[in-house]
Amino acid sequence: MYSCGIDIGSVSTEAVILKDSDIDEKNFEICSYIIGRTGSDIKTASENIFNDALSMAKIKKEDIRNIIATGYGRKNVSLADRNITEITCHASGVLSVFPEVKTIIDIGGQDSKVIKIDRLTKKPIDFLMNDKCAAGTGRFLEVMAKALDIELEAFGKIFADTNERIEITSTCTVFAESEIVSLIGHGVDKRKIVKGLLYSVADRIISMVSRLGIEEPVALTGGVAKNSGIVGAIEEKLDTRLLIPFEPQITGALGAAALALKIAKSE
Amino acid sequence: MGIGSFKQNIINKIQNNLDIGSIRKILKFISNPLVFYIYGLTFKSVSDKYLNKYSLTYMREVYCGNYPIAYGSLFIPYELLNSLNIRLVLPEVMGGFTAGLGVTGKTLADAANNWYSSDLCTFHRSASGAANMDLFPKPDFIICSNLACDAACKSFEDMAKKFKIEDRFYLIDIPYENDNAAIRYLSGQLENIFFDISEKLKIKPDTDNLKKAVSSSNKLRKHLLEVNKTRERLLDYPQYYNGLSYILPLFGLAGTEKAARLYGIMEKELKIKLKNQLPSRKMKKLLWMHLKPYYRNDIFNILEENNCRVVCEEITDVFWKEMDVQKPFDSLADKMLSNPLRGNGQNRINAILSMAEKYEIDAAILFSHWGCRQSNGLARILKDSLADKKIPLLILDGDCVDKNNCPSGQLKTRIEGFAEIINSL
Ligand SMILES: Nc1ncnc2c1ncn2[C@@H]1O[C@H](COP(=O)(O)OP(=O)(O)OP(=O)(O)O)[C@@H](O)[C@H]1O
Ligand code: SF4
Ligand SMILES: [Mg+2]
Repeated sequence: MYSCGIDIGSVSTEAVILKDSDIDEKNFEICSYIIGRTGSDIKTASENIFNDALSMAKIKKEDIRNIIATGYGRKNVSLADRNITEITCHASGVLSVFPEVKTIIDIGGQDSKVIKIDRLTKKPIDFLMNDKCAAGTGRFLEVMAKALDIELEAFGKIFADTNERIEITSTCTVFAESEIVSLIGHGVDKRKIVKGLLYSVADRIISMVSRLGIEEPVALTGGVAKNSGIVGAIEEKLDTRLLIPFEPQITGALGAAALALKIAKSE
Repeated sequence: MGIGSFKQNIINKIQNNLDIGSIRKILKFISNPLVFYIYGLTFKSVSDKYLNKYSLTYMREVYCGNYPIAYGSLFIPYELLNSLNIRLVLPEVMGGFTAGLGVTGKTLADAANNWYSSDLCTFHRSASGAANMDLFPKPDFIICSNLACDAACKSFEDMAKKFKIEDRFYLIDIPYENDNAAIRYLSGQLENIFFDISEKLKIKPDTDNLKKAVSSSNKLRKHLLEVNKTRERLLDYPQYYNGLSYILPLFGLAGTEKAARLYGIMEKELKIKLKNQLPSRKMKKLLWMHLKPYYRNDIFNILEENNCRVVCEEITDVFWKEMDVQKPFDSLADKMLSNPLRGNGQNRINAILSMAEKYEIDAAILFSHWGCRQSNGLARILKDSLADKKIPLLILDGDCVDKNNCPSGQLKTRIEGFAEIINSL
C-alpha cells in the first residue's frame, strides 16, 4: 500500500511517497521524495511535484491509497484526499524518525514554529507560531544573504570560522536590511555581520521555545535546518544538541504521508 | 456585470462617500419595515433576527432621533443612563460598526493623524477616528470607568475636549477591593452622576424609573442564566448564537425592557432546540476569552468544521447577583464590583476556572486583541492555571477591529492546529 504527503510551503513544495512495510518499527519505507519551489501557482506546483514523485517511485496515481496535503497552501491541493496542518504533520514526521523527541522547532520560509510533544501520549500538546512578520525565518535570511552578497549555503562555514560578531539590533526585515547595508558601508567585516544575524534569528526562536518550556531532546526541521550556522547558534544558546532528520525540508510532507498511511490502514 | 460585482460596487461607493448623512440614509432604508422583513428572512435564528431588528432600531434612534447621546465604555451600569432615556455610543459597538462597514482603514488613519499610537487598542482608535470624522452623532455626555482598562479614560477625555463638553465628562473610579467601603464609594459616584445628568438634561431625577430599569436588568439576568445553561447542552449548536454578537443588548441596553425581551426570546428558542435535539456527534466544548473580531471572518466556521464549538464566553457569563430594586445605586455598584476583571488578576483566573468547571469545557481560546494590556497581560498565568486542570489554551493573536492586523491564513493554521490537538486528546 502506498501513500503520499504533499507540503505546500510559502517557499518550497515537497512530495513524499511511502510504502507500508513490516521490516522496521516505522512500518513504512520511503519510495521517493522531491523538493521544488512553490511559486505563484499552487495547483500546478502540487501536480508537477506529485507526478515527479510518482515517476521516481515508478508507480501510478491509482497505486496511491491516500494523499494528505499540508502547509499553508494545503487547502488548494485538489488531488489530496484531506488536509492536515503543518503542526500535526511536522510532529508526525519527526516522531517517525526520532520517536524520543519532546520539542520540535520548524523554521520555514515564512513561519517558524515550536511544537511540544507529550511525554506519555507522544502526540503534540502545544505549539507556538511566530507572529505576522517574517523576521527570524528563512525568507529573512534569504533577504539578508542578498544584501550581503553571500550565498546562504556559506553561512554555516562563516559561523564556524568567525569568532567575533556584530550585534544586529533591528528585528524587522526591512530595517535589518538597511542596518546591514549601512554596516557594509562602514567597512565592517561581513563575516561578523553574518554571525550577528544568525544569533539574532536564534534569539527569536529561543524566545518561542522558552515560552513553551524546553524539554529535550529537541529536533530542528524545515529548510533552515540545512543552514548549519543557525543550527550552531541555536545549539549554543540552548546548550543542547539538535536532532536533525536526514532531509529536514521534507519533514512536513513525510509526516503527512505517514499519517495518510496510518489512516488508510485503519480504514 | 454579475450580482457579486454589483454589490461590491455599491459597497465601494458607500465606503468612499461615507459620512453621517449617508449612514442616516442607510439606517432609515434598512430599518424600513418592508426592507427589514426581506432582510430578516436571511437570518437563521429568531434571536438573531430580533438582535438585528433591535440594534437597527436603536442605531436609528441614535442617528436620527432626538435623544440625548452619551459615549460610554463597556462596563458602565447602563441601567442608569437607560432610565434617563439616553442613547449610547459604545466604542466596542462602534469599533464593530466601523469594522462591519469596512471603513476601519479610514478611521484608524484619522486616529493616527491625531497622534494615536498604533499600539493602542483599535476599538478606541477606530472610535476616536470615527468621532473625529463626525461619523457618529455629537455626544451630550461622555462617561467611562477604569474597570478592567483605562484606554477609554484617555481617549474619551480627548473626545470631550474635541466636542467642548469637558463639564459633561464623567470618570467612574473603581476601587481595587470589593468591600462595603468600596460599595459606598462607588454607589456615591453613581448617584452623583445620575443627579448631575438629570440636572443637565433639565429633568426631575426619577429614581422610580431607575428602579424599573434595575428590575428589567434583573429579568435579563434571569434569562441569561438560562441561555448560558442551555447553550452548554446544545449539541447541534448554531453558531449564530455567539454570545459576543450581543454586546449591545447585554451591556448597552441593560435596564431596558427590550434587552430583557430579547434574552427571553433567546431562552425560549434555545430551549426548544434543546428539546428537539437529536443525538449527534460529540463536539469539543470551548471557552472564549475576551472579545472576537467584528469584521467578516471565518473563525467560528473553522472551529465548527473542526468539531469544536464555543459554549461560553468570559464576558457573557453572569458574574453578578440579582439586584435589590429598592437600592439601585448600591446594587449597580455591587454589579460593577463583582466583575472578575476588576482588581487583582487572580479574580479573573478564579472566574475562568469556575466557568471551566461549570461548563465542563475541553479547551479555551484567549483572543489576544492587539494593544489590550488588561487581557493579554495575564496570558502566562491563565495558560498555566488551565494547564493545571489539563485544559489546553490557545492564545490567538489578532485584532477585533482591524482585519489587516489579523492575517486569515495564519489564524486558520493556528485554529486548525489547535483543533487537531484537542480532537486527538
Ligand atoms: N541548502 C540550504 N542552506 C541554507 N538554507 C536553506 C537551504 N535550503 C533551504 N534553506 C532555507 O530554507 C527556507 C525554506 O524553508 P522551507 O522549505 O522549510 O519553507 P516552507 O515550508 O516553504 O515555508 P513555510 O513553512 O514558512 O510556509 C529558505 O527560505 C532558506 O532560508
Ligand atoms: S479591548 Fe482591551 S484595551 Fe481595548 S477597550 Fe477593551 S479592555 Fe480596553
Ligand atoms: Mg513549511
